[in-house]
Amino acid sequence: MIGRIAAALTLSVLVAAPMRLEAHHSAVMFDDKKEVTFAGTVKEFQFTNPHSWLLVDVTNQDGSVTTWGFEGEGPNTLMRNGIRPADLKSGTKVTMTGHPMKDGRPGALWVKAVRDDGKEFYPGGPPRAAAGQ
Amino acid sequence: MAMTRCVRPAVFTLALLSAGASLFAQGNGAPQSPDEFRRMLAMGVKYHSASDFYAALKAAAPGGGRQMPAFNQLPDWSGLWTAVNVSTTGGSFFSGGPGGVAPKLTPQARAALQQGAQNQKNGIEYDENLSQCGPPGYPRWLVIPFLREFIVRPEETWLTSETVNNVRRIYTDGRNHPPADEQYPLYYGDSIGFWDGQKLVIHTDQLMERSMGRNQPTQSDKMETVEIWQKVNPTTIKADVWIFDPGLYTEPWYLERRYSQVPNADKSLRIRYWNCNENPNNDVVKTNDGSTNYKDFTFDDKQKEPSK
Repeated sequence: MIGRIAAALTLSVLVAAPMRLEAHHSAVMFDDKKEVTFAGTVKEFQFTNPHSWLLVDVTNQDGSVTTWGFEGEGPNTLMRNGIRPADLKSGTKVTMTGHPMKDGRPGALWVKAVRDDGKEFYPGGPPRAAAGQ
Repeated sequence: MAMTRCVRPAVFTLALLSAGASLFAQGNGAPQSPDEFRRMLAMGVKYHSASDFYAALKAAAPGGGRQMPAFNQLPDWSGLWTAVNVSTTGGSFFSGGPGGVAPKLTPQARAALQQGAQNQKNGIEYDENLSQCGPPGYPRWLVIPFLREFIVRPEETWLTSETVNNVRRIYTDGRNHPPADEQYPLYYGDSIGFWDGQKLVIHTDQLMERSMGRNQPTQSDKMETVEIWQKVNPTTIKADVWIFDPGLYTEPWYLERRYSQVPNADKSLRIRYWNCNENPNNDVVKTNDGSTNYKDFTFDDKQKEPSK
């Protein structure tokens, strides 16, 4: 199980983020200087306005399971960035990267999801390098 | 997902901030030149009020702006549109325009901006309008991201945005604003307009005193605007906007906004009903220091037994 094997938490300084409209930035509850990366299993994809939430069950090193929520954009923005509800169904194995909440709760700003078949999903658009800009 | 709670303040934080910049650049033309910006600014500055400016534009239009065009004479603004990133083309309520011309702010507006900048520096942000699912309102409507549709008819034009399903109705059937004794503050104001060829000219008043955004000044209920909307190329609609607000500016301010057509060849994108309260995981609270944090999450409410 991916989650059991790789439920490791990594904190790192942001190196390459997806393109963001900084002028509207107000994600003060997230620490944009840090990233967390988890492997886990999709519990539920809440495809909702104004924000969507991808809930991912992550098995901790002690064997307990924590459900993490990764917040992404609303449905139409996700659709325009190539993310559809059926892409991340319940039970899908994923490796998630996000900016964690400052207060330590298991929530993060969704930066990137990598499905077990290798397909990548960027809710805010692809990284600049990938977009050729 | 369980969504049964009654109190559902929600937040647009990330949606408004992080719609990717890739969504905006679709060949929107060259940025406005400093000379053009100054010329447009001067057009409005010479008038005492937005009403006077609007009246002058109407008087100069063919037929005095009183002739309602036939449907087949109207421009084609069909499709889906989205706001072009301000950093691409300029167009700000409070930052300088092309060439560095800055708005002439009132002392109150300047102080509010300074306080907002300090808050921003300290990581303090809260949205008095959107955090509790209120509408963005106008003129903030001009700069919000996400999808828009522009529905054009001879007697009325709807300028819509998917964000909380808002609609600006522009009456072009010759009616005036309501009489004074029927006026009251409105989130999007009252808008009347006329067609000058392929240009839609709009006058808006009856606006509500409210915050213009996170760490932004408060617009007054004296605010009035004049807008000129036109399609400038097959994928770009431009709005020239003059804002008259004695609470914010000591002289009228001007900004240009552009909206680019969203590619949708497979017609997969559609504007749906937007219920800001639908997901309690988006509920936020105002913290003691005036900032924003999530309230409670529902995704960790079912603790699982550790799998050993």
